[in-house]
Amino acid sequence: MNAAQHILDAFKRHQIDTVFGYPGGCIMPLYDALVAHDQVGVEHVLCRHEQACALAADGYARASGKLGVCIATSGPGATNLITGVANAHRDSVPMLVITGQVPSPLIGTDAFQETDILGMTLGIVKHSYLIEDAESLPGIMEEAMQLAQSGRPGPVWIDIPKDILLTDIADRQAPEAPAMDAESADAGTLQQILDMLRQARQPLLYSGGGISLAGAENAFRRFASASALPNVVTLKGIGNPGRDNPDQLGMLGLHGSRAANLAVDACDLLLVVGARLDDRATGVLDGFAPNARLIHIDTDAAELGKLKPADLAVRGDIAPILDALADALDDQPLAIDDWRRRCSDWRKTHGFQAATNDDPHAPISGPGFIRQLSALTPRETIVACDVGQHQMWVAQHFQFDHPRSHLSSGGLGTMGFGLPAAIGAQFACPDRPVINVTGDGSFMMNAQELATIRRHNLPIKLVILDNQCLGMVRQQQELFYGNRESQINLDDNPDFLALARAFDIPTLAIERSDQIRRGIQTILAYDGPMLLHVAIDRSENVWPIVKPGASNREMLDESQRPNRTPSTRNKENAA
Amino acid sequence: MTPSTRAHSTTHSIRCRMQAEPAALERLCQVTRIRGFRIEQMQVHSDDGYLAIDMALSGSRAIDMLQAQIAKLHSVESVSTQSYTASATSTTEGIRRSA
Repeated sequence: MNAAQHILDAFKRHQIDTVFGYPGGCIMPLYDALVAHDQVGVEHVLCRHEQACALAADGYARASGKLGVCIATSGPGATNLITGVANAHRDSVPMLVITGQVPSPLIGTDAFQETDILGMTLGIVKHSYLIEDAESLPGIMEEAMQLAQSGRPGPVWIDIPKDILLTDIADRQAPEAPAMDAESADAGTLQQILDMLRQARQPLLYSGGGISLAGAENAFRRFASASALPNVVTLKGIGNPGRDNPDQLGMLGLHGSRAANLAVDACDLLLVVGARLDDRATGVLDGFAPNARLIHIDTDAAELGKLKPADLAVRGDIAPILDALADALDDQPLAIDDWRRRCSDWRKTHGFQAATNDDPHAPISGPGFIRQLSALTPRETIVACDVGQHQMWVAQHFQFDHPRSHLSSGGLGTMGFGLPAAIGAQFACPDRPVINVTGDGSFMMNAQELATIRRHNLPIKLVILDNQCLGMVRQQQELFYGNRESQINLDDNPDFLALARAFDIPTLAIERSDQIRRGIQTILAYDGPMLLHVAIDRSENVWPIVKPGASNREMLDESQRPNRTPSTRNKENAA
Repeated sequence: MTPSTRAHSTTHSIRCRMQAEPAALERLCQVTRIRGFRIEQMQVHSDDGYLAIDMALSGSRAIDMLQAQIAKLHSVESVSTQSYTASATSTTEGIRRSA
């Protein structure tokens, strides 16, 4: 068995049945081994760009909780993966990246398609390896797969010279990777958390993507129910409480609900679980939760105290900690009824709201469309967003029942994420509805993946909210740059309907409010992929929004929109 | 404590033991740079598959944050720090790496 065959053998042993890749010169021995894939049991998904391979592996991992795997050749193949791997790194997505490298004797000679990919990617991986001898590969494969998925997950990259892929490896049992168990909190620490919760009059629960990464969804809901804490979530924590939690206030931060940000501002204890106090969530730190003691629970010790000192920092496995706290609170609930009522009132008056328009001929509003999409789709629907205004409208107005149903590029904010992520999610969850909600800007970043959808006849529904511009940039230019528009005009986009049809994907277009329901029902009912083009108003903004450099309590809403004069618009595409 | 609230620079020393694998030193230097420290001196000794590294650093950010980030590196076996200010010296003993 050569090293390439060993890699496939390792996939089989670890039940990795789907990988996303693109072949080329130096990775060819692995693709040659794949020819016998029926015996190997690995489905290789040929994306049409390596960036999409990494983003599809990311979507696969986010939707399933399993390891995402992507493969590419050396040089441009490897560098094209970088954005997708960085995306996974910033959002702590477990991923195994395998690239071919030029043959060992040629490394360092500027050989054809040689790049120092190990050096180039040090900052965007949890760990990386350059294989220097074939015999080390079995142990490194085991270690890499475990490392990617343990503790705080992340991408692990293995770069393998072509000659090593072809080298025979002695047939022996693969070594076991060393155990990497996370620590758990001791009884004294748990009692400290309980004491602080009982002393607080206005405690608030703040959760992030670490809940699903730790597989702690059930423990979180048990704790949320037992504590009855009002709760807020980060972008990646959306879905943590489930649709039916009565105490949720929605997302906090830059585009969070005013209710959530008011609660953070007023609370006297903030219990942060599986979140890293990202600047998009906190705003200016000096103004964040100014009256609160802070408890921070995370599996990554380096996140504790990184941005804001915690009164109690707890490193450990999230699920057993939350389970133990729930057990204690079941016997003796917290006395916070007044605070819960206050938060409930905030939710009613300052929760996310979408303007309604009874005129059937009114233009389609982004938030209004997303609300109808949410109402008409089954609970188990997976939504893969791109990045921009539509992403925030989904975060604000779509009701998610589970965090793994909401795939969104958080830390890196990668335009072009949504379509390949939807492909990955559909492979991970073939029986669930998958929708890619995208904007006209983001869609163009990986539109070539329509070919992947068509090849596999994936029943993904593509929804383009088209405002013919880079809406989020336009919004910020309007609000914070004196409405001076700079390079955001996309009104010369191609005909997306014709483009989709060129890939043999049927289409539907809507532009009026009375067409929304029928449009959504039509694509949901269609047995196969379909694209819905939704024309929306170019001037629509995401509200509320926190001004750059301000604290979250200083949110702007539409009533504070500056006077917009057409004369300030430039004519960038007029010629 | 935010990084910007620490105005003055302090001198630190870091002692680190890590596996001698490809790009090990680059990985360590990159983390040090990205987390806001300047390497003033560096000594490396190779020992039976491991690298013993002593670094003198300057920077205004919290050294314990850097220590935690270095300890996170998979190939780091141990890391300890010592800080020098005009009035005092503080030492943090080595911590084991874990996933």
